[in-house]
Amino acid sequence: MHDEKYRTEPGCQTGVGKGMKYQTEKKRDSGAQRAASDPLGPNSEIGRKLRQYYDDLISEEIPDRFSQLLSELEGEEQTQSATKED
Amino acid sequence: MSATLSFRNGLLAAVPTLRAFAVSLAKNADRADDLVQETLVKAWDKQDSFQPGTNLKAWLFTILRNEFYSQMRKRKREVEDADGAMTAQLSVHPSQEGSTDLADFRKALELLPEDQREAIILVGASGFSYEEAAEICGCAVGTIKSRVSRARSRLQEILGIEGERDFAPGSIAIHTTNVA
Repeated sequence: MHDEKYRTEPGCQTGVGKGMKYQTEKKRDSGAQRAASDPLGPNSEIGRKLRQYYDDLISEEIPDRFSQLLSELEGEEQTQSATKED
Repeated sequence: MSATLSFRNGLLAAVPTLRAFAVSLAKNADRADDLVQETLVKAWDKQDSFQPGTNLKAWLFTILRNEFYSQMRKRKREVEDADGAMTAQLSVHPSQEGSTDLADFRKALELLPEDQREAIILVGASGFSYEEAAEICGCAVGTIKSRVSRARSRLQEILGIEGERDFAPGSIAIHTTNVA
């Protein structure tokens, strides 16, 4: 279940694929630099457990309240700017 | 307008990792969700201070972390640990009951002091560099490094994992070889 493909950035799970130009951060475990010498890299049991713990949290279903909240915030802003323009 | 839309999408995309970080800090799913909610509202209000092209995730983590510590200070003043024991009991995350291995790890993480826990989560799980983690926590890179290192040793100790300081292939054999 926790295969490599699954461990992509969280954005992939929320279905908001378009217009994510702020997603500039690099993918985790970017290759060799995270390898041998890294105390939390793939050779470290603690490192592996940490990522398993975190990925498990990330893969939880996200409550609707967050996208609702953002829609509300966006709605407020549009109303405000519309009144300003008048 | 389209800048607003991509900002919104960026926030929404960051929600899963923000929640994971919030749960790690707050040790409680409900509090974590409140933290994420507060973070989104704050981020929205401060939208103008975010520079497009810079790391949105790091920016959001900073907001969430600040929110966590300011709530904690407030709570400490309000109820001096009166509900501390209860919070600990409520902290079980339903999805994590399945694996004892994972449950053990979670308990071990919860035993760490906050500063060590957040450092090792940021660097070891959220995918930030030591430099980024230092910026998020508002401290020196060396401080983050030593916190991560102490957290790692402590976790190894609690979980009974042998020291991993040497990554020579030979040392792995010790753990994997069965008693013949």
